[in-house]
Amino acid sequence: MKESKLMLVQYATAVVAVALVAVHLVMQGVISPYSTNIAFSNILSIYRNWGYAIFLEALLVVVLVHGFNGLRIILHEMRQTAPWSRWVDMGTVAAIVVSVAYGSRTIILAIFGGVTA
Amino acid sequence: MSEVKLVVQRFDPFTDAKPRQAEYVVPTREGMTVLDALLYARDYIDHSIALRFSCRQASCGSCGMKINGRPRLACYTQVNELKGERIVAQPLDNFAIIKDLVTDLESFFVKHKQLMPYLLRSDGQEMEHPTAEYLMKPDELEKVLQFTYCIKCGLCTSSCPTVAMDEKFPGPQAMAQAYRYLMDERDEGGERRLEALDTAHGVWRCHFAGSCSSVCPKGVDPALGIQLLRRHVLSGKAPRKQGEGAKVWSAATAPHK
Repeated sequence: MKESKLMLVQYATAVVAVALVAVHLVMQGVISPYSTNIAFSNILSIYRNWGYAIFLEALLVVVLVHGFNGLRIILHEMRQTAPWSRWVDMGTVAAIVVSVAYGSRTIILAIFGGVTA
Repeated sequence: MSEVKLVVQRFDPFTDAKPRQAEYVVPTREGMTVLDALLYARDYIDHSIALRFSCRQASCGSCGMKINGRPRLACYTQVNELKGERIVAQPLDNFAIIKDLVTDLESFFVKHKQLMPYLLRSDGQEMEHPTAEYLMKPDELEKVLQFTYCIKCGLCTSSCPTVAMDEKFPGPQAMAQAYRYLMDERDEGGERRLEALDTAHGVWRCHFAGSCSSVCPKGVDPALGIQLLRRHVLSGKAPRKQGEGAKVWSAATAPHK
């Protein structure tokens, strides 16, 4: 993928992440108190709400893509050899895939009863 | 007669392990530049000081160096304006030192050439054997005029934090010139230019520190050029395609017949 497209993804995920994190903070810290929402049973109920589960999955993907792409940029600036650049690019994709898979696993297990209170 | 203490960083990579500071007391006069002071020190105190200079009027860009910690042209910096009894002259950062205040600008010019600082056109015959001039409208000239003032002194590249980190980053001078030719209405090579800039070490690595623009002795704003370049690179659309560049001036197309 061209660098301009990757940077477009970086800018877009930044904007979307700000919106999603703001909604998340309002929902979990303002509308109802944080101390209530942090209770394990409440967290499970949040995950089992399909709308919120999709929202959390979107937040997970957006933040991870933005974070790891940003790290890729920093690592590209640290060294400029071809093998380093190749490893950084491949490592970024692998890190995003593994992290999204692990985060999604938590959401899926919570929805389908793999985790119980 | 007043005097100034001139501290010059001395370093010969063939004989010295690390740079050292040498001090020279130089008599000053009204209108004296740092280059004048350095030449006085070289001519009357220590003949071994190495420095590069030519035009003495901020046109050639040869005498770029760090003066009191800031990249400047020695011929364009007056001793009086520095307001101190001590002037420290050091070689430019981000370049290898050849000797004392003389730096190796090879990488600078290699990067400049990589971004094709010349017109790319489809009418090769006219380019090789010109019959007239290419017409450029005044408002089109206005878009690129400030970038044509670049004298390739290397001060902007020396001050750039990204150049210090990323040796493949073209630097502010090369990219400002890339913008200058991209927007030149006589140029038809926009797609090639955008492709050359759209890399992992290209236009996106600028952090917009803006130091390039603040040190330019000719008032060029390379940081602006880089930001404007990004817009074109992001859209992927060159301002003109092959055959759409300004036409050759002729009696038939002349606007002021």
